[in-house]
Amino acid sequence: MTNLTNTISKKNKHFSMNVFILVLAIIGAVLPLIWDNPYTMQILILIFLYAAAAGAWNIIGGYAGQVSLGHVAFFGLGAYTTALLYNFFGISPWIGMILGGILAAVVAGLISYPCFRLRGPFFTLATLAFAEVLRLLSIWARPLTGGQVGVTILFNPGFKNFQFFGKTPYYYIALILMFLVLIVSIWIERSKFGYYLTALKEDHDASEALGINTAKYKLYAIAISGFLTGLCGAFYTQLLLFIEPLSVFTSHLSNQFAMIAVVGGAGTAVGPILGSVIITPLNELLRGALGGDFQGLNFVIFGAILILVVTFMPNGLVGFFKDMKAKINHRSESK
Amino acid sequence: MLEAKKICKHFEGLKAVNDVSFTIEKGEILGLIGPNGAGKTTIFNMIAAVFPLTSGEIYFNGKLISNLKKPSDVCKAGIGRTFQVVKPFGGMTVLENVMVGAFNVTNSVSEATEKAMKAMDQVGLLRRKDMLAKNLTVSDRKRLEVARALATEPQLLLLDEVMAGLNPTEVEEIIPLIRKIRDDGITIFMIEHIMASMMALSDRILVLHHGEKLAEGTPAEVTSNEKVIEAYLGGKH
Amino acid sequence: MYLMQVLISGLMLGGIYAMVSMGLTMIFGVVRVINFAHGEFLMIAMYLVYWLNVLLGMDPYVSILITVPVFFVFGVFVQRILIQPIQESPATIKIFSTLGLGLVLSNLALMLWDADYRSVKVSYSTAVINISELSISVPRLIAFIFALLVAVFMYSFLTKTDLGKQIRAVSQNRQAALLMGINVRKIYMIAFGIGSALVGLAASLLMPMYFVYPSIGLLFGLIAFVVVVLGGLGNMYGAFLGGLIIGLVEAIAGAYIDPALKEVFYFIIFILILLLKPSGLISMGRGSEEVGL
Repeated sequence: MTNLTNTISKKNKHFSMNVFILVLAIIGAVLPLIWDNPYTMQILILIFLYAAAAGAWNIIGGYAGQVSLGHVAFFGLGAYTTALLYNFFGISPWIGMILGGILAAVVAGLISYPCFRLRGPFFTLATLAFAEVLRLLSIWARPLTGGQVGVTILFNPGFKNFQFFGKTPYYYIALILMFLVLIVSIWIERSKFGYYLTALKEDHDASEALGINTAKYKLYAIAISGFLTGLCGAFYTQLLLFIEPLSVFTSHLSNQFAMIAVVGGAGTAVGPILGSVIITPLNELLRGALGGDFQGLNFVIFGAILILVVTFMPNGLVGFFKDMKAKINHRSESK
Repeated sequence: MLEAKKICKHFEGLKAVNDVSFTIEKGEILGLIGPNGAGKTTIFNMIAAVFPLTSGEIYFNGKLISNLKKPSDVCKAGIGRTFQVVKPFGGMTVLENVMVGAFNVTNSVSEATEKAMKAMDQVGLLRRKDMLAKNLTVSDRKRLEVARALATEPQLLLLDEVMAGLNPTEVEEIIPLIRKIRDDGITIFMIEHIMASMMALSDRILVLHHGEKLAEGTPAEVTSNEKVIEAYLGGKH
Repeated sequence: MYLMQVLISGLMLGGIYAMVSMGLTMIFGVVRVINFAHGEFLMIAMYLVYWLNVLLGMDPYVSILITVPVFFVFGVFVQRILIQPIQESPATIKIFSTLGLGLVLSNLALMLWDADYRSVKVSYSTAVINISELSISVPRLIAFIFALLVAVFMYSFLTKTDLGKQIRAVSQNRQAALLMGINVRKIYMIAFGIGSALVGLAASLLMPMYFVYPSIGLLFGLIAFVVVVLGGLGNMYGAFLGGLIIGLVEAIAGAYIDPALKEVFYFIIFILILLLKPSGLISMGRGSEEVGL
């Protein structure tokens, strides 16, 4: 009997989540048809992009609890791979995107492996340092990357070249990217892999004793996370058609990816989307409105938000809503 | 089933376990006793590959396991364990905790759920299945440790003081549970401080003192062994 | 001779790195928090030295009398207000809290003082002492001497005084320290205070020879992280030694390879240490590489 109710409640939970995703997808798909304003479109594209990148971060940082502060490294690898393969060899950015993602995944694995054999803060420190190393290398390797000047992607619009005149195609691609990350996250949540990641986040020794090869699963997680982050970087290249070390290897982006996930709710599939819906427009607003006069104000505010969230809402907005719901349910039950 | 040959573990000069040999027969309950600091948990950690042996070898079903590098490899080989200081996954429910164990033998979520339900039923945790593990009482946490380890479907189960911290009634409840596990075909190697329950449960007992094997035999043999009385029981008077 | 010159200036520079890193490792070893705002503390301290010089004409070396106590108090407050409420939370929470503080500090600096590079103008900035064919920068030499003094002072403080012994007791075993009647919360605050005070001192010694700008914290933070891992997490002596080594590496890489790539070498060292000897150069014994968080 209990077995039955359990499976039913689980099915219900899955069902409502599936419905939620479907509704979100439909809204996302029809929105440009009714509200086709370039500025709004631009903001929405960024919301999706950041939600995707934060969601990718969330796979290793949230589910597996291994905090990376250098995810921009994988973003930048995706971005540069796509740009350089297209400019030097004329390889379609669609293929460049996949190759960039794969490169990011492999590099992520190589950097993380020594850290995952150990416990402690090594992974966080290694990612932080590695991102800085890539930034410096991208400046240094001038013949390849153009150094500080950056790379301008040769403009030749068309689907094959992943370049478009209007914003709408970018909008749909960003939307798909976000949903890809969301679906991967949900798959993780509902599979053995997700259970294992949560377990190793909670207790390393107990996980090992229960047969979890913790290093291996963390490695899978960082590879998936790196791949998806690489895709985001590639998309960014095609969106702006110009990249430079300052824009795709900046520690600001690493912080932003992590912060969006944490504010929304790390270790949940919708957390990064929720976080991006709040943080990304706020960021654009603060930069746009106050820009020149108060350079850095956005990050002062975000830093403060980050401190407040982890201190008072350690499970982010999703956790906060869950607690609220539990309280309301509890109250109605006691009545 | 398990054979330890002259195993040693030295920590920077300290001989935590020194030259200990023993065997565990299939289907038995072997007790491991000894005063605090005798090296009991160290032996568990050596079997479970928490750290490498200084010297010696451990065989399981005739295969060398003391060269395994990770505790997860040992679990995969068929040895489950519990921890003296319980380590629940606090943010997961009881069911999810046990499912993590069950995933050792299946990749399917529904199968893992089924196996977890069975293991929880075995230890009497079914009614707590949706509770967060961090909200469990001490006694339920101990049960959770056992259920999780059981769910990995081990041939040999290492129980590290599952009765410590329980009140007499709870101890009374857990004794038949351990017997039941053995009757289901799982060999048990257990550390316990409560002598009475150890005597009641164990087929044989291994006595450890200052990292060395002091005696080995049936409960009756061990309790009448003079060295044991002097070193272990005598120490308490 | 050129090599000798390179080694000497690297060693001197390493003194500064050692000081900053000893602060970081102190905080980690005792409070079990990696202070991701550590570099930003240094940056703010450097601005303090800068403004004391510009507004009051205070010599950077005299400013030690202000930066050290001010940053001691600052560290105590950060521990009390920011860390203490989340002391028992998972490591990730603490990472984000100190990261958030770092973001606030570096961007506050950007808002208030722009991204300009600023330096103090003192007569001895470029002064050198010539010993046969070697020339030694006076500010670097002073910094190095201070680093040695600090190392000796910290050693005797931690081993000889009651407070120092309490700090070591807490870093080795928090539970046992509690049972011994040590006020662990107070020790945390003091340790964070000392860790920050070292940064204040380093700032005063750095300003005669360095520029300050808002993102300099990231650079010094990274160096300190590498040094601390190199020396063994939480190990003061290791941090001192590690600081000197990184100073040497930087000088050698700068002189013989490419100064633009010095961080790449830090990182290679960092990864090598993780692969070969994760407990750091000076092992504190079994499992010290896994102090966790």
